[in-house]
Amino acid sequence: MNTKAIIFCCNWSVYPGLLLSEDTTVEPDPEYKIIVNMCSGRLQPDLILEALKDSAWGVMIAACPPEECEHDGNYKAKRRVLLLKRVLEQFGIEPQRLKLEWIDKGESVKFKKAISDFIDELKELGPIKKLEIN
Amino acid sequence: MPKPKVAFYWCASCGGCEEAIVDLNEDILKVVELVDIVFWPCAMDFKYSDVRKMKDNEITVAFINGAIRNDEQEKMVRLLREKAQLVIAFGSCSQLGGIPGLANFWDRETIFESSYGKNCPSVDNPKRIFPQTKSKVPEGELTLPAFHNTVRSLDQVIDVDYYIPGCAPPPYLTMKAIGVILSGELPEKGTVLAPEKTLCDECSRNDSKPEKISIKEIKRISEVIVDSKKCFLAEGVICMGPVTRSGCTEEGDGKCISANMPCRGCFGPPPEVKDVGGKMVSALASIVGLEGEENMSDEDAEKLINQIVDPAGYFYRFSLPTSLLRRKRMSNLVKGEK
Repeated sequence: MNTKAIIFCCNWSVYPGLLLSEDTTVEPDPEYKIIVNMCSGRLQPDLILEALKDSAWGVMIAACPPEECEHDGNYKAKRRVLLLKRVLEQFGIEPQRLKLEWIDKGESVKFKKAISDFIDELKELGPIKKLEIN
Repeated sequence: MPKPKVAFYWCASCGGCEEAIVDLNEDILKVVELVDIVFWPCAMDFKYSDVRKMKDNEITVAFINGAIRNDEQEKMVRLLREKAQLVIAFGSCSQLGGIPGLANFWDRETIFESSYGKNCPSVDNPKRIFPQTKSKVPEGELTLPAFHNTVRSLDQVIDVDYYIPGCAPPPYLTMKAIGVILSGELPEKGTVLAPEKTLCDECSRNDSKPEKISIKEIKRISEVIVDSKKCFLAEGVICMGPVTRSGCTEEGDGKCISANMPCRGCFGPPPEVKDVGGKMVSALASIVGLEGEENMSDEDAEKLINQIVDPAGYFYRFSLPTSLLRRKRMSNLVKGEK
């Protein structure tokens, strides 16, 4: 499996624009997969842990910038990411594997660049060490 | 008709679950009237060979407490699984990994170094004599069970039929479980024999809870005295009530809460929660710094979050081996090794 990054992004902000900007004739990049959610503030940390447990090298959350989220979910997402990074570190997983990016509506170019930079960072880190427990 | 046969066994545990059986008090006499206790090494003299001699499925139900962290425990629970019709994971360590499961933040080497080596200030061991699985002495060879790198819950080693949570399980739940098993009307396999609501749902301090909790400062329970009627979280003290199953007392209110201590999570997650730590990250980070969050700088948010000391240890205090990530990734863990 080539997927290295799982990207969570909001159905009500950046995702629709991203869809419109994509060339449907081009095969999607297998190095990342986008999972659409209803607000960065709704994203449960278990889903992030599940992605990291299964095979993802890293997880990025694209959240609306401060003052742009209609539900103020982005502030919650920020604090959850800060706390989850510390938890990951205690599990021996580099906190850089979890990234929060502020991406506004219509910022598809910035979004694509953030994804490709993140994948470059993940390639430097390599995959998360697999557990072998009988 | 012969009486049903019951076995009790302990693995990596503190002995509190054995106490919990003794805490049945007079009720234990009722139990003994109804069943034959065929194996209980903590209380009576039994040998491994007594169990080996039994026929498969001869034991009606085996209550096994403690996590699995060495070869002896693993062999014994596999043997009990062969001999018992039903296996019950009894207590937090057996169900979730429990306190011994916190060892999954280390490995065998670092644990031995802390117990027998240079990281233990009270041990004088210049020759660095460490436990060996085999050692030669004039009388012959002595053996010790191999110590595993990773602590596992009971169901990560053998098939488990039911779970009784708690550190230790309250006697009323144990009596209820025995009643259910003896009645023959068995619940669905895999059932946790305890209520499904969270402790927060049942907490008598709910009335004191403000509509919106916002924590400005995290306080440790050793630093403050919390009003015995007030919600711990509203007072800035981390309480695992929102992500923990209720049932630690028959009346519903938490046992620790009644003693003015926050819930530590020994009953494990309610059915809908997959990962206690993940859920607690969600619950706690949502209310820490909630008031005025739109004006809080990234640095201030980080400072506030960093007031939470040892988050993984706190959130997974009883459930690290059964968490989604199970243990710390360490470079010296060898492939295929336990």
